[in-house]
Amino acid sequence: MSVYMQGVVALMGVNILMALSVYAILSTDQVSLGNAGFMAIGAYTSAYLTVKVGWAIFPAIVTGALVASVMGLLVGIPVLRLSGLYIVMATFAFGEVVRTFFLNFEPTGGAYGFRGPIGTTLPMIYGWVLAFILFFWLLSHSRLGRSLAAVRDDTEVANSIGLSVKLLKLGAFWLGAFVAGVAGGLYAHYMFYIESNNFHILVSTMAILYVILGGMYTFWGAIVGAIIFSILPETLRFMQDWRLSLYGAVLVLMLIFRPSGIITPMMVRNVASRLTGIFRKAGA
Amino acid sequence: MFLQQLVNGLTLGSTYSLISLGFTLVLGLLQMLNIAHGDVFMFGAFLGLSFATFGVPLPLAFFFAMLGSGLMAILIERLCFRPLRRAHFLTPLLSTIAFGILLQNVATQIWGSEPSRYPQTTELAQYQLGPVLISSIDIIILVISLGLMVAIDLFVMKTAFGRAMRATSEKPQTASLQGVNINRVIIFTFFSSGALAGVAGGLTALVYLQITPFIGIRQGLIGMVAMVIGGVGNLRGAMIGGLLIGIIEIMNDAYFTASYRDIILFGLFFIFIVFRPQGLFGTKQREA
Repeated sequence: MSVYMQGVVALMGVNILMALSVYAILSTDQVSLGNAGFMAIGAYTSAYLTVKVGWAIFPAIVTGALVASVMGLLVGIPVLRLSGLYIVMATFAFGEVVRTFFLNFEPTGGAYGFRGPIGTTLPMIYGWVLAFILFFWLLSHSRLGRSLAAVRDDTEVANSIGLSVKLLKLGAFWLGAFVAGVAGGLYAHYMFYIESNNFHILVSTMAILYVILGGMYTFWGAIVGAIIFSILPETLRFMQDWRLSLYGAVLVLMLIFRPSGIITPMMVRNVASRLTGIFRKAGA
Repeated sequence: MFLQQLVNGLTLGSTYSLISLGFTLVLGLLQMLNIAHGDVFMFGAFLGLSFATFGVPLPLAFFFAMLGSGLMAILIERLCFRPLRRAHFLTPLLSTIAFGILLQNVATQIWGSEPSRYPQTTELAQYQLGPVLISSIDIIILVISLGLMVAIDLFVMKTAFGRAMRATSEKPQTASLQGVNINRVIIFTFFSSGALAGVAGGLTALVYLQITPFIGIRQGLIGMVAMVIGGVGNLRGAMIGGLLIGIIEIMNDAYFTASYRDIILFGLFFIFIVFRPQGLFGTKQREA
């Protein structure tokens, strides 16, 4: 694989993780437009641990993700009081606070950025991706996963049948922040150099776009969305200078024509029943 | 010294007020955020700049900038809001972000990413008012922005069309039953929101910044902060919120350190949203 291809595939893995982190939060009818903030916390924490403290990469990434997830709780608690657009704006503000914090925080380089984290390999990224896919798959088939779905579909009903809605929502924020933290740690140790602008608001919004355009009602949608929108900008390279303009236009058009995403629960069920149909015929 | 900073803060803040008014107009009407609003501001700044460099007199250049930005906002409504009225509430939000990306990059292709400035056409006159030194440009900015704010306020509060706008934001179906043409209200609202952002862009570019295709991002955020602090959906609140933010920003730079400016602003924003989502002047209302 060429270096260029490796870069695309590596970032695709990071994007899949970011999409899953958004999905975790969306799956309880909350939104986060600040996941780049959690990613930044994971990235800077783990990078500091490996470069300045001399830790190995794995514990550093896990610790970074844990710090991010604690932050997720700290954001998730006040956000419980809010709904809809107010959650969007609050998390938006959170993301910007984190970014400007790292822009000015001297121990991790401030405006000059932080140099030195190394060690992320493709197998390492996709190991994490597979682990989280397995986790979300198990979750979606568990009692807990069905509780989360109930909270998303109708909070009041979920409340009335005795689910602890607040705890579930908080848990989702914790999980989303953790996954974003892992993505940040992997990203930092792949890029060798991070600066606050790597965790711009656009990173958060792209992560939501993966999920919305992929289909927000199943985690497969998040994954497919991340894959498509990691490859799409690369296929537009022939447009040269107009590439990003065209990318923006494609996104606007896709939202007009496919507002509820590419992969819908209906489609998953259809595909699943076709597949089982084929196997049944083959078996008979 | 303090008075001087206060005047500087008011001048800067009045441009923020224009941006946050535009946010509030749309949000009050549709309960939706137009994230590309900041990029309409950028577009207006560049339009004004282009006309001014072609030798169009400044007031006329501003008028064209206003018109162009208003039309751009109508285009945003057509592409990002109208087709998505029934979709999940995040969808139009994301669509406006995508439109913002489009606008930033088209602007880069047209005007380049190097910072540009207005040609020095007007002679800067400085007036000494007691302890305060004020330039002719400061006066232009204050007069135009405050004038527009009063005009919008009067329009929304006193005219029949303004009443239709308020009715639509209150309850669209009922307004429609009363004979209000909702689509006309929406288009007009977007136009005025864009026009205000365009003027703000032209005025800001005149004094404060060199313009680049990416200045809209921060300006849009600031407009959002001003809107929330003033009280979402409250026009006068948005104006005062903008002025407040301008004053806070200038005071912070003068007496504290400029590098923590945005942390303070966004921190304030977060605190307001969580603990006082109705803002300074809003009443507790239904949540968006």
